[in-house]
Amino acid sequence: MKKKLILLFAVLALIAAACGGDDDSSDDGATTTAAPATTTEAPASGGDDVALRWMTRPDNPEEAAVYGEISDQLAASLGYDLTYEPGSNEGAGYQQTLLTNLSAGTAPDVFWIPGTEIADFAKRDVILDLRQFADATGHNDADFYEGPMAQLTTEIATGQPGNALWGLPRDVSTFGLYVNLDLIAEAGVANPLELEAAGEWDIAAFNEVVDGVAALGGEIKGYGQSAWWGPYGAWMNNAGGGFFTDDRTACALDSDASIAGLTALRDLYSGDAVIPYGEDPETPFRAGTVGMFQNGRWATPGIRTVDFNWDVVGLPSGSAGPGNWLFWGAYVVNANTADPEAAWNLVAALTAADIQAQISGLGANIPSRVSQDALDAFLTFTPPANNQAFLDGLANDPTTEGPLWAGSWPEFVTLMDSEIQAVVTGSRDIADFQANICSETSAAFGG
Amino acid sequence: MTAASVSSVSTNSGEPRWFLPLVVWRVFTAVLLAAALVATVIQRGIVVDGPVRLTLILALIGGLIGAGIAIRGTLQRVHLGRLSGFAIDFLLVVILGFIALNRMGMFTGLDAVGEAFNGNAALLLIIVVGWFVSGFAERAGGNQRNIKLIARWTMIAGAAILAVAMGIFPGLIEFASRLVRGEVVLFAIGAAVSAVFARLLWTDDAARFFGTNQAQSEAMDGMLFVAPNVLGFLAFFAGPLIVSAFISFTEWDGLTDATFVGFQNYIDLFSDSLFLKSLRNILVFGVVAIPLAVVPALLLAALLNSKLPGMKFFRAVYFLPSIAGVVGVTLIWKQLFNSTVGYLNYMILRVTEWFGAIFGATWEAPQPQWISDDSIALIAVIILFIWQQIGFNTVLFLAGMQGIDGTLYEAADIDGAGPWAKLRNITVPMLRPTTVFVVATTTILGLQLFNEPFILQSPSPPSGPNNSTLTPVIYLYQNAFSEFQIGYASAVAWALFVLIFGITLLYFRRSGEDGVLSS
Repeated sequence: MKKKLILLFAVLALIAAACGGDDDSSDDGATTTAAPATTTEAPASGGDDVALRWMTRPDNPEEAAVYGEISDQLAASLGYDLTYEPGSNEGAGYQQTLLTNLSAGTAPDVFWIPGTEIADFAKRDVILDLRQFADATGHNDADFYEGPMAQLTTEIATGQPGNALWGLPRDVSTFGLYVNLDLIAEAGVANPLELEAAGEWDIAAFNEVVDGVAALGGEIKGYGQSAWWGPYGAWMNNAGGGFFTDDRTACALDSDASIAGLTALRDLYSGDAVIPYGEDPETPFRAGTVGMFQNGRWATPGIRTVDFNWDVVGLPSGSAGPGNWLFWGAYVVNANTADPEAAWNLVAALTAADIQAQISGLGANIPSRVSQDALDAFLTFTPPANNQAFLDGLANDPTTEGPLWAGSWPEFVTLMDSEIQAVVTGSRDIADFQANICSETSAAFGG
Repeated sequence: MTAASVSSVSTNSGEPRWFLPLVVWRVFTAVLLAAALVATVIQRGIVVDGPVRLTLILALIGGLIGAGIAIRGTLQRVHLGRLSGFAIDFLLVVILGFIALNRMGMFTGLDAVGEAFNGNAALLLIIVVGWFVSGFAERAGGNQRNIKLIARWTMIAGAAILAVAMGIFPGLIEFASRLVRGEVVLFAIGAAVSAVFARLLWTDDAARFFGTNQAQSEAMDGMLFVAPNVLGFLAFFAGPLIVSAFISFTEWDGLTDATFVGFQNYIDLFSDSLFLKSLRNILVFGVVAIPLAVVPALLLAALLNSKLPGMKFFRAVYFLPSIAGVVGVTLIWKQLFNSTVGYLNYMILRVTEWFGAIFGATWEAPQPQWISDDSIALIAVIILFIWQQIGFNTVLFLAGMQGIDGTLYEAADIDGAGPWAKLRNITVPMLRPTTVFVVATTTILGLQLFNEPFILQSPSPPSGPNNSTLTPVIYLYQNAFSEFQIGYASAVAWALFVLIFGITLLYFRRSGEDGVLSS
């Protein structure tokens, strides 16, 4: 009998504590919207009884902790009961968790997705068009970078930018070249930062630095990049090419410009001055054996642990100028949220300048809002001394990462990745690639 | 074991008073199940959709058949009526209770339990102090009773303070308010009524009324004992398995309605070059990796089974890789495999230089690109897999060896058999049941290869250079979570299941024919 009483007591305590937590069944919260535009402000009235869950993928544990703090901060300012979920754990990745939750109808009210997936989610009616709520709160699309907003405002029917609003970008990023200044000095080659400042940082100068550093011999290599679509795509962008036609309705991998970029990449990898294509370049760069390493801003916190002198320089100019990527992801609202108005308020608050400044203060993200305050906060995060390199990448007409509204981006990437790798590693002739790649990837466009 | 007897008040006709309410309840539950079935069939898209809906329909049909049997058995007053009725009531308690708690937001609130407990964990010290005092009382002299009393009240007070600190009073008020909210109260009442009738049917009174004999009573006890496990199996294993089988016959993205496509997904598999490539990769992997994870393990076990000093230490050392986290281990191996700064190539370099120095020659050391060269990327995965598996297999063989009758070795010694002869003629034949198990489990694990290539290749695509490390599970994952092709991914899963099941069955049948399993 005593044991039963203790058990009952424990169950009651459990129930009590649980009830003290979240109540996802709340569906009667009436809210009105305020305009959290550049800073987070409380809604004009009535945040009571609104409970929202939101999920975004942090790049590291420190960032997860900051998101948790931001959640508490916004809960206080908006008057909502907010729960932040990092989304991934030991057993499942972010994407896996999100899709499983969406399938089961248990996805959070607000969640982050990569920019390449906006179309897939919008076309399946999984996320809400937020335009009506945005208009009611004085939101201005022009407050954010144009590239992501073009994708976020794309109409499903036309596949072109219109009056829809699928979410707001959480942050943006560009590629830069992380440079081992000690190796550069030891090799006696020109400093890429000085070359860039002098306007002489082009592919030829880049190749000279690569060869010069690799000439140090042994395990020293001049350059390294990963084998996913971003790094090789940057070479095509540099040459004025790209994956798709301008209206993103067809493959452009076979264009002369794309092929020129790919040829430059293949030539670079035909020698042994670089980390072999497909090998992880970050480990040897951090070990101090690589002169230059291409990666996005998200790599900065990890690179800060190295014990040699380093900085960041922009990508070298190709025939079409200093091409780059504009990477981004967006906060979107679950189509099944009980309170879309409050969810929009949360999205707006999460992308407000002061919140973005907090996140970018950790060094892994560039604010998505075109706000000098947010950019100033980003620039204070040193090293690297040359944070401006990432912002220059934004200013130099980068190609915006984005979905295929008239096709399947994941399918396209799966088909493209292995063929590009085959070209770069020399197992496929580039002329054959140019002749056939667009017909090989036509399935991704429904062909 | 049956519950304590509950006094029964019979009516004049000899029926207990609960009989009529029981019949009414039986009919009511059947009508409810029928209504739920009809609603699920016709109200498409209202509550749940897609494969989940079909599963629900099948479950409701099963429930309705069960309810029919229960009504008939109850009216006939036979044990089957009691058994099926009890089963239905028991399931209703679990299902309706679960739904009620879910609707109340209790499961998402469980996070708060941890937080509330962590925030007040220091109060547990009061209970711990009471517990220590209670232990001290055992050694005390005359005041033992008083000390025990003080200890007990200290513990009770500690628990009470902890509960209050965790918010038991506002929590209970909140609980009560949620309990009466909307449909929750209906589910809760349903669960409570089901619990009452389940309890009623569990009594000796009911057992007598329905003519339950001793064996049947014990069988019911047994069923109740295994019920949590069976329910868990149905909910988390069999259920998803059936759902995934159904999904494999659909075109479904996991987000919108599924379209039934019959065997089309399976037909497409045969012309899917990537799937065929993944199959080829996994078969090559299996042919190379499985023998190399088993045979050396046998030899290692024979070595570790010797009476040499330090063997216990080495047993632990060899077992370590199998208990280490696969992600951490793979990340370490990824660094070892790095072609420019990895220790593996460094070792090759040094060894080559050393041999070169011995022979007075200058040899160029091969520096394999373990991860990025499509001709050897799978070998890197095989090395990692063998390293992980060999220790575990060694321990299994070791356990098998220690079960071999020592007199066999003594007899062999008398006959003048050497170590090799004893291993070949005694150990290996006697270990055949263990070998069957080791080979089967290694095969199953090997064919499900996922984590190792996935992590080794990151941040590059997990399929590796020229898809050389693409495995069926990676392909399944890519289809399901990158390309939103859950239906096709399920077909891949079932094709892989058939492959694994076929190989394992073949192996067991061969072993059975050899009499290994019976031995």
